[in-house]
Amino acid sequence: MKKQSRVGSRLLVGLMFLFLYLPIFLLIIFSFNAGDSSAVWKGFSLHWYTELFQNRLIMESLYITLLVSLLATAIATVAGTFAAIGLYSLSKRKRDALLVVNDIPMMNADIVTGVSLCLFFVAFFQGWGSFARWFNGMQSVVELPARLTLGFGSLLLAHVAFNIPYVILNVAPRLRQMDKNLVDAAQDLGCTWMQAFWRVILPEIKPGIVSGALIAFTMSVDDFIISYFTAGSSTSTLAMTIYGMTKRRITPEINAVSTLLFLTVLTLLVIVNVREARQERRAASLEPRKLTWLERLAVRTSTPGWRWVKRGAGAAMGCAFVAAVVFLTGATSARPVVNVCSWGEYIDTDLITQFEEETGIRVNYQTVESNETLYSLLKSGGADYDVVVPSDYMIAKLLEEDMLEELDYGNIPNFSLIDERFKHLSYDPENRYTVPYTWGTLGIIYNANAVEEEISSWSALYDSRYAGEVLLINNSRDALGAALMYLGYSVNTTDETEIREAFALISDANSRGVFQGKVMDEVFQKMEGGNAAIATYYAGDYLSMVENQADGVDLAFVIPEEGSNWFVDAMCVLKDAPHKAEAEAWINFIASTEANLANMDYIWYASPNKEALEQYPAYYEEMYGEPLDQETYEIMAAPPEVLERCEVYENLPGETQRLYSRLWVELGS
Amino acid sequence: MSKKLISLADCCVAFDGELVLDHINLYFNDSEFLTLLGPSGCGKTTTLRIIGGFLTPTSGEVLFDGVRINDIPPNLRQINTVFQRYALFPHLNVFENVAFGLRVPKTETVNGRKRKVKVPEEEIRERVLEMLEVVSLKGFENRRITELSGGQQQRVAIARALVNRPKVLLLDEPLGALDLRLRKDMQSELKRIQQQLGITFIYVTHDQEEALAMSDTIVVMDQGKIQQIGTPEDIYNEPKNAFVADFIGESNILDGVMHEDFVVEFFNRKFKCLDKGFAPMEPVDVVIRPEDIDIVPAEKGQLRGTVASVTFKGVHYDTIVDFKGFKWLIQTTDFHPEGETIGIILNPDDIHIMRKSQYSGMFGDYSSYSEEYDELEDVSLLEEDGEGGDEEE
Repeated sequence: MKKQSRVGSRLLVGLMFLFLYLPIFLLIIFSFNAGDSSAVWKGFSLHWYTELFQNRLIMESLYITLLVSLLATAIATVAGTFAAIGLYSLSKRKRDALLVVNDIPMMNADIVTGVSLCLFFVAFFQGWGSFARWFNGMQSVVELPARLTLGFGSLLLAHVAFNIPYVILNVAPRLRQMDKNLVDAAQDLGCTWMQAFWRVILPEIKPGIVSGALIAFTMSVDDFIISYFTAGSSTSTLAMTIYGMTKRRITPEINAVSTLLFLTVLTLLVIVNVREARQERRAASLEPRKLTWLERLAVRTSTPGWRWVKRGAGAAMGCAFVAAVVFLTGATSARPVVNVCSWGEYIDTDLITQFEEETGIRVNYQTVESNETLYSLLKSGGADYDVVVPSDYMIAKLLEEDMLEELDYGNIPNFSLIDERFKHLSYDPENRYTVPYTWGTLGIIYNANAVEEEISSWSALYDSRYAGEVLLINNSRDALGAALMYLGYSVNTTDETEIREAFALISDANSRGVFQGKVMDEVFQKMEGGNAAIATYYAGDYLSMVENQADGVDLAFVIPEEGSNWFVDAMCVLKDAPHKAEAEAWINFIASTEANLANMDYIWYASPNKEALEQYPAYYEEMYGEPLDQETYEIMAAPPEVLERCEVYENLPGETQRLYSRLWVELGS
Repeated sequence: MSKKLISLADCCVAFDGELVLDHINLYFNDSEFLTLLGPSGCGKTTTLRIIGGFLTPTSGEVLFDGVRINDIPPNLRQINTVFQRYALFPHLNVFENVAFGLRVPKTETVNGRKRKVKVPEEEIRERVLEMLEVVSLKGFENRRITELSGGQQQRVAIARALVNRPKVLLLDEPLGALDLRLRKDMQSELKRIQQQLGITFIYVTHDQEEALAMSDTIVVMDQGKIQQIGTPEDIYNEPKNAFVADFIGESNILDGVMHEDFVVEFFNRKFKCLDKGFAPMEPVDVVIRPEDIDIVPAEKGQLRGTVASVTFKGVHYDTIVDFKGFKWLIQTTDFHPEGETIGIILNPDDIHIMRKSQYSGMFGDYSSYSEEYDELEDVSLLEEDGEGGDEEE
């Protein structure tokens, strides 16, 4: 009986660890996948790691992450150590109270810390702005910058702020263990307080400082939420970039970078734990310990001659670090810059480098994960982008709220290359604000081996024969849009009865168990692996899925006969953008035929550039040495007669939007 | 021998409005061994910290060689300290602990210019080894602190303080953590070192035996006030009040009335004594040391009592005798069993008269003999933590 329960508890522990670590193992394994699927194994390759190191978005954010983490760790370690020492000079009651206060930020939800820091910075910047204007008006000797925005500075301050408690937490116990008389003794023997600090306090609490710094560094590298709220729009940490990349899909590149991140954090944690264990063992035994190689080196180099060498080396390293920071920040601020915000995995990054080389303008390329996030970022005032690439309906919304700047098409000669079909669309009828970036269609993706006949109608989505095999797109606009189409209504209808009818259709199918679930990014794994038969998704993404489909899966794409949605993502410049000229240069560059060809090849979304659209099959043949399948091309860029059947989403009036949300919530998950 | 090296003039210290040192006036002579003696919380460690520079008096002056040093930090005073629990630096070995003070660069003003002065490595080595020899720790240079016994650590602490050649060495209960044997050895060792180097030692302890054995001068303190200053003999033989009488050795303290010079009355009986200068019929405290009392057969005694209890102490018996309800402690080498009626004789030089003080009536009755002993032991245990805790709150 007893034995049985032990087996049971072991099994439970085993399951627990499996549950904790299996996803991470999968992530690591798939980072070595030759194919670009996260579900189907295509063989071993380091391909994604090489990709990773060539991806400038990732490398840039890696640099930011390391810089922020190192600086924040250094500052927090110094500040936290002195704060801890200060705490220990207080009376016990005050000290205990303050230590509790110190614990709160660590236990506090990151989201609360993040939001409050963000609000604090924004409030401070406003106050600072008024002060700077008053100050600049008072005198003309010093010109204070009046407009401060979230960015590297606020990110660094936020990291310092949340790191300090960890340092204090690690240093405090060492101070508690330290004989209080040691400082008195050192002063008694001739030290000033500062000399006592260096000669006695520091060696005593060093282990605590080192583990505090390591934990602070780990926390910094690891942090996403607080960074997300305080980095503003022009700075991205690695975690933020990864999150941005997930908007389109999780590529094995993310697996690779996550693997590296995981290993880094793991290594640091192992170091911290090993150190602690070793110290405990050392404290437990009074045995004279063996010197570590570092200490042997220190002893060997403690002769006066060596000491100068060491000091020189230390000074040189310090200077190099400062110089690097100065150089890098200097280099970035002296050059003209354009801040671009787009979606993850939505550009051939070679284009960025090419643009920078041609124009000398630095591109600060940031990503967000959805139109809605972009909107809230812009609304919160934390963003300082110049160029954004929202979708059609969001453009209409931004225009309605007067958030876009009129473009000077004289600076964008390549606009003439855009196909007339993509000009003067409903969101920008006079075409004064936008230059299209890509376009595409929404359709049905299905596994031909898992359905009985070729699918050509939206009706398949609600068909009981496919119960449990249909993936409902987790986006009220697309899901209801498909139903409206099927019923023969416009996707932009504001008629409540029509919308309710469409909803009843979905709701009915849902109650019959037709839907396997509501999905967005999961659609890739599900469809590639053959775990679902039918889904609604975008044409460009279908092409990625086909690349990775497992054996026995035969994916097909169709724009149903009832018609569908087609969408345009277009480049716009935000109202009062600080770098309008650079922004227009960028837009012109991206609108060029070469750039459109490269992008089309990279992201498999159709180009709005007439020449590029026509030349793509030839470009493909030249690149890959085989002709482009006509069917594939037509899926990528729907031919005019198909497009005829499709409608562009318009921005719905607020009342209709609220109805959409209400109904979507009603459906449940 | 009689040069005033350090003076405390009217020093007060208050923590959170509570007076810890109450108008202390005290001076320390050159080359003397002076002990600050008193129970936990009496202000002796506070006094030491003022001299060391770790504490600035709330009011009053500290003078060193006639110069006011209230605001001079500890690192600039020619004074070194041996701390209660040694406060050795655990990250350094014996040699480096002793060399610590010599390695700290000192700022010296030469021809009006400030310069950092370092002691040459050769000299450091010489002085450290010399000092280790003084404290009999030669050959221990490379030991780690954690490898040393308590007594050895104590010696390192002393060497570390003395290597800087201070004019004054402060010792804060340095022997408190050692066992009895070691404590006795170290007492004579400390006295030897003090005489060998000829510098002033200011020693803080709550152990009256230690104070009596080592000191040239003892300062008895209680409640932030100096109760008595004097040589060990003075303090023992002529205690100023009931507190001193009780704290230094054992005392029977009785209420008495001074009839005239050399005549005191207690237990309704007049005794001859050697004290004078009191007002006629002034109420006084009478001190009689337990070892001064002679036991005689009951019929021959000036007073008669019954033995209440007997405890064997090795050299003598602690005999508690009931005199009409008042219990005396008598130390005698003769055994008198419980219940025996005995007599005692008091000679004039066995009787010491003190003026009444705030302490009158608090001490000197042995009716709760055994419990008082327990209490005393508790106090010495508490002392180790208690004294350090004074400044913390």
